[in-house]
Amino acid sequence: MGIEVRNISKSFGNFKALNNVNIEINSGELVALLGPSGSGKTTLLRIISGLEKADETGGTVLFDGQSVDKRKVSERGVGFVFQHYALFRHMTVYDNIAFGLTVKPRSSRPSKEQIRSEVNALLHMIQLDSYADRYPSQLSGGQRQRVALARALAVKPKALLLDEPFGALDAKVRVELRAWLRRLHDEIHLTSVFVTHDQDEALELADRVAVMNRGQIEQIGTPDEVFHHPQTPFVMNFLGQVNQFRGRMESGRVWIGQYGGQPSEESTPQGRSTSSSIVSSSSDRISATIYVRPHDFDITRTPQTGKLSLPATVTKVRSAGNVVHIDMVTDTGEALMAEITHQERAALGMEPGDQFYMTPRNLRIFSDKEEDSEASQVASR
Amino acid sequence: MHEEPDNDTRTTSESMVESTKPVVSLDRVETSRSFLHILTEPIVTRVLLLSVTIVFMTLFLLFPLASVFYEALADGVKAFSQALSNKDTLNACKMTLIATGIATPLNVVFGLIASWCIGKFQFWGKGFLVSLIDIPFAISPIIAGLLFVFLFGAGTSLGKWLLGHHIKILYATPSIVMATVFVTFPFVVRELIPVMESQGDEEEQAARVLGASGWQIFWRVTLPNIKWALLYGIILCNARAIGEFGAAVVVSRNSVKTNTLPLHINALYQSYGDGSAPFAVATLLAAIAIVTLIIKTILELKIRSTQTKD
Repeated sequence: MGIEVRNISKSFGNFKALNNVNIEINSGELVALLGPSGSGKTTLLRIISGLEKADETGGTVLFDGQSVDKRKVSERGVGFVFQHYALFRHMTVYDNIAFGLTVKPRSSRPSKEQIRSEVNALLHMIQLDSYADRYPSQLSGGQRQRVALARALAVKPKALLLDEPFGALDAKVRVELRAWLRRLHDEIHLTSVFVTHDQDEALELADRVAVMNRGQIEQIGTPDEVFHHPQTPFVMNFLGQVNQFRGRMESGRVWIGQYGGQPSEESTPQGRSTSSSIVSSSSDRISATIYVRPHDFDITRTPQTGKLSLPATVTKVRSAGNVVHIDMVTDTGEALMAEITHQERAALGMEPGDQFYMTPRNLRIFSDKEEDSEASQVASR
Repeated sequence: MHEEPDNDTRTTSESMVESTKPVVSLDRVETSRSFLHILTEPIVTRVLLLSVTIVFMTLFLLFPLASVFYEALADGVKAFSQALSNKDTLNACKMTLIATGIATPLNVVFGLIASWCIGKFQFWGKGFLVSLIDIPFAISPIIAGLLFVFLFGAGTSLGKWLLGHHIKILYATPSIVMATVFVTFPFVVRELIPVMESQGDEEEQAARVLGASGWQIFWRVTLPNIKWALLYGIILCNARAIGEFGAAVVVSRNSVKTNTLPLHINALYQSYGDGSAPFAVATLLAAIAIVTLIIKTILELKIRSTQTKD
């Protein structure tokens, strides 16, 4: 089932949880709503489910092209998995999963035997066949989460909505369950939307990611698109680590303090107008914020001519891990993080106290004007 | 180097002087210390403390209770059974059953509705409503009885209107029931509010998404989750309704027709003094109290075990 959200707004008192949100979710797609707490992602999910009512501002939610604004939660045919599972604590695992089937009106309720075989099939799917008679309190977090999922799937929903599905689990279980959920989705192809504040989860699991901030969707795209081609400073900042420099655009060059250079060809992002339009359009000075990912530096002992090469001194080298993390400080006193491979580090002979020239291979520039007002950001897209 | 230790001692002594100033915090420190003291006390002291407790309880609780049964049977079993099967005693039993039988279910219904509203919703004036519920705890039952006298008395316009229509409320069954309802009002709701609050409404939401109707949610999700606390509230409410004296005595005027069990015992005691009759009837209430205590203990264990499960 395809889901479409059009111009939805929601306020709680003076707090604007959602501000004119639009999103389209295709049938069979797995979409993540990613954002910090208070960004409105859970509110959006609850409005889709019908648990929350949107403000009356002419917005609408459509399932397969039909408005469901008038339909009650129970009539929308969606499955909802709650953050803390919300399992019925006085019922066994079996009764929890069977609940949705047993509360159906007598005319459409399956027979006892049918319910039994369906619940058993679901128990098998979540690999908890022998746990039918246990109570939720006797299960681990990951098992409870799977029961919650089976309970939601038992009524054969046309879409599955998950609120922070792995939020309350420890790291290892979380990764396992994530992979399991992805496999499950690939098998049953149920339209699914899940809310998360964990970027790894969103980028690994989802077909598309909607990055939310302050009640709005900043960007929606495939994990690759949002990670490699962020359209707003917020998305740039939120996804992965990034170095931020106060700088300016002047006569076609990027400047950070006294260091300037031609933005290299790679640094002009493909298909995006943000940096290129600033670079080409103006001979006058525009103050801007420059973003460089830690792994996007060329590190040399001498400055690279014609390019933006920042001198920086190594303060700490952390080499435990897949990559080497280097903390540096630029000669203007700003902190800088870089990531290089162990081989690169060996080749450079990098030790604390050494000075290097950091040349961004890839940088993104957002003029400060845009960051200030939402309107100009929309216009620049 | 010389001055440093001096400085240190000065600052610590200053801070000590300051710390003795706030009386409250000092008290708290003292109590927690003495508490720790008890826990680490040798066995002799513990046995001593325990025996003091047991002696005290025997003297002031068990002994009087036992004496009720002893006195009740002092004139023999025949007198005992006569006192119980007496017409007035049976009538008092009937009155108590009526008052309790109406007050408890009424307070259960009210308690469920009120605790649901208070525990699961946020609304303006919630704190005020919660304090209103506590009124019967706060005021003396005598006053509660007098409230009804003032409300329905022959001097008031409502009283006159009722008199004109031959509706008898005061000094009759309705006022006894009303007084009992008033006095037992907070018991069920007070037990349910914390349970409802701590459980939140996620399970109800989950049930709603799964297609359950309002009634199905109540019967299959909410009620099973609160059943032990509800039973606990019912037991307390019941015990209080059966034992109510102060409010009932005002609105019944201690007449034989409208006496409940406690009022009947009082009346017997006033007329027979130390005879066995009042004690015989009192054994009924004592027996109910013991049963109540047993059920209450079982329920407390049940509630605790469901809480630790979560």
